[in-house]
Amino acid sequence: MPPILRLIVQRISLALVVLIGVSMLIFAIARVIPGDPARIALGPNATVEQVEILRETLHLNDPIYVQYGYFVRDISQGDLGVSLYTNRPVTIDIAQFLPATLELVIVAGIMMICIGLPLGMISARYKGQFIDNLLRVVSLLGVSAPSFVWAVILMLLFAYFLPIFPVAGRIEDIYVIKAVTGFLLIDTLIDGNIDAFFNASWHIFLPAFALALSGIGQAARLTRANMIETYNKPYIEMMRAYGVSQFRIASRYAFKPSLIPSLTIIGLDFAAMLGNAFLVEAVFAWPGLSRYGVAVILRKDLNAIVGTVLVISLTFVLVNIIVDLLIAFLNPRIRYSQRPK
Amino acid sequence: MKFFSKFKIPLLAILVALLGYSVQANAGGTLRLDEVAVGELDPGKASDYADSILMFNVYDTLILPVQGGPGSAPHLATSWSQNGNTYTFSLRKDVKFQSGNSLTAEDVVFSLDRMKALGSGLSYLFVVVDSATAIDNSTVQFNLSKTYAPFISSLVRLPIIDKKLVMKNLADGDGEMGDWGQAYLSQNSAGTGAYRVTAHNPLEETVMEKSSTYFLGVASDAPNTVRLRYGLEAATVRTLIAQGKHDISSQWLPPEVMGALAKEGAQLFSESGTGAFYLKLNTTKAPLDDVNCRLALSSAFDYEAVVKMIAINDEVSSGRGSTGAIPIGMFGSNPAGQELKQDMAAAKQHLANCKYEAGNHTLELSWIAEVPLEERIALLMLANFTELGFKGEIIKLPWALFAEQVSKPENTPNVSQLFVNAVTGDPDTLIYGMYHSSNPGTWQSPEYLDDAAVDALLDAGRSVTSASKREQVYAGLNNHLMAIAPTVYAFDRQSIFAASNRVSAPALTNPKHAFGLDGMGFSFRLMSVKD
Repeated sequence: MPPILRLIVQRISLALVVLIGVSMLIFAIARVIPGDPARIALGPNATVEQVEILRETLHLNDPIYVQYGYFVRDISQGDLGVSLYTNRPVTIDIAQFLPATLELVIVAGIMMICIGLPLGMISARYKGQFIDNLLRVVSLLGVSAPSFVWAVILMLLFAYFLPIFPVAGRIEDIYVIKAVTGFLLIDTLIDGNIDAFFNASWHIFLPAFALALSGIGQAARLTRANMIETYNKPYIEMMRAYGVSQFRIASRYAFKPSLIPSLTIIGLDFAAMLGNAFLVEAVFAWPGLSRYGVAVILRKDLNAIVGTVLVISLTFVLVNIIVDLLIAFLNPRIRYSQRPK
Repeated sequence: MKFFSKFKIPLLAILVALLGYSVQANAGGTLRLDEVAVGELDPGKASDYADSILMFNVYDTLILPVQGGPGSAPHLATSWSQNGNTYTFSLRKDVKFQSGNSLTAEDVVFSLDRMKALGSGLSYLFVVVDSATAIDNSTVQFNLSKTYAPFISSLVRLPIIDKKLVMKNLADGDGEMGDWGQAYLSQNSAGTGAYRVTAHNPLEETVMEKSSTYFLGVASDAPNTVRLRYGLEAATVRTLIAQGKHDISSQWLPPEVMGALAKEGAQLFSESGTGAFYLKLNTTKAPLDDVNCRLALSSAFDYEAVVKMIAINDEVSSGRGSTGAIPIGMFGSNPAGQELKQDMAAAKQHLANCKYEAGNHTLELSWIAEVPLEERIALLMLANFTELGFKGEIIKLPWALFAEQVSKPENTPNVSQLFVNAVTGDPDTLIYGMYHSSNPGTWQSPEYLDDAAVDALLDAGRSVTSASKREQVYAGLNNHLMAIAPTVYAFDRQSIFAASNRVSAPALTNPKHAFGLDGMGFSFRLMSVKD
């Protein structure tokens, strides 16, 4: 089997084990949160009889392993049950809210890469100079303040005092865009509505930037540190001696080896943003899965909690597999290590 | 610095482009407001504030609360009569559903049967109704299993659904009626209301448009489109209103934010007479199983301080002084001017008659974790009650844990703080669940009150059908509840909403037009919006 295929099979097998573990864990944890899900779902005015009927319907009076059995049976048919919070199938809720979060996280991820890595490169290139010191302070600020703090600061600065960006939502009310993929940036283009595309881009900028700031700082700092280390390597010294331009040394010879550790962190950051997006989504009224996830946890909506956590875990696992493959692509030593001995 | 000088011009160009792009006009005739998620569109399941707003605009009911006073007035019905436990309603003949179908008695029967079959939302209000029968196309009869005086007022919670439309859209489910149209009605409207739903996402937004076929007609300056948004953060709402991109906030905005908006020129709308804030005393645990200790706490509580604590500015507060167990404006309430006041001398006298020594007891003063205001009220209680010599312990409880703990008297804190509302505007739906001994240990009844006189009066409130006699019964009940003090009646709740100046809503600004029912003030057909 080719090494890269062997790596993929190995990672997917591990991912399946992880997902089964997560499903068991979250299934158990969701059931030990205080409060009766049936009572919370039906509201304070529901009668004892109504609560009891719902408990029976949800199999809440059965032992936990029996409940898990029902869950496995249903999920094998693609059924995550009905959300007690929205009264809709959890799959419909996830299908509706996941694209909004993914779109936000992907744009934030692109910002992280497109801003964080060049900043790190510039910082390393001008090490010890004013621009390096400035970028280090900015990176540190990005890393040290949580994204929701940035969300509020950015909103105050660029939506309240200087009303450049919109405050809430994914697009202006005046646009009616047919949902094809759920990703508004794509759907507006499919619809051929360029104005709506720019409007959606304009709406996503602040929340994505707030979400990305921590990752940008981290990517910049990591890239800087790795590139400075690479700059001290003898082969770089030799390039300089041969008179290769600084730009070429930085972009071609110093950057690629420095990218590997940064990529691992960016991958982890990217997946973590799915969970961390909650407060940014709340501040910018972004109708995403993270906000939905927190809302269903607070209401002890068992089916929705398990469904949301599983989807976030799946995305986490997928992103990690992609990062592993990218690293294997960048670093031949990892590819070769998969060859049969 | 060279780096910035290189990119100065492109950066400036981007800034100018964004500034230009951000200047956009608001949509005309559109009303934008927010509420706490989720918005339940299925009227058979509606129970929260957002659900009520949707229900009252998309659907109609046989009767409506009288504006500016107690009682009910015909709406989809033209009149009704009562013969023992049978109520007969004549329906209007000029009413059409948004689908174009005419309203018939069959729709009323279907709506009741559906609500009882689903068994969620406020269906418990109709447990007493045995059956409904369509006598003819425009006459419907309800047969009750026993006398239930608040039945007429309960009908404000029976929205009438378009049977023909729902039957066409039944999905799979148990029995002949499939899912009773739950899947369809959770996404679509099927009412006679002044507004029809054009888009609905229970966590994000519901968009409604004015219906051209509404039987009462809708004024031209009423909003053409309504966007009810869910779950906006306080900072977001504040910024949106300041930018002119939002019209009415929810009542859950912190008083400081509400005050800041008022300072910037926003109007403050209010809705009152529907509920109150109570400090519920566990009457099964020492020292509050002694009525004198309870009366001591009632007298020691600083009622004026709590109203100041929830004030938005000098004129407006989220509550007003309480006059007793029943909020001002409801059947049996004491009139304004008799507000309760702190009286430490009386408190000490009651304490002297209590069989317990205050210093030997630590009062558990709980507050619901999701309502930060309650922590401040817990601190106020602590200050007031320690003046009497009690020791106090403040306990923070998440709602879910609280609801579980109060199911057993020994786990129920000495004092629990709760907002309680009358879901139909009738005092029965406010206090029966709190004080009747047949309902112990629910979230509404952490008092565990077991008082024969209270039970008798509550039962009389249901069985006496004459309005004046009911008023007497509830007035007597109010006085008795004051005398046995199972609760400290902290303040009458007043829901406040910050609103932009382009909106006019008489039902939320003029007491003569107020409905006395949570959410009904948001009948959009009675509002006007400037373009």
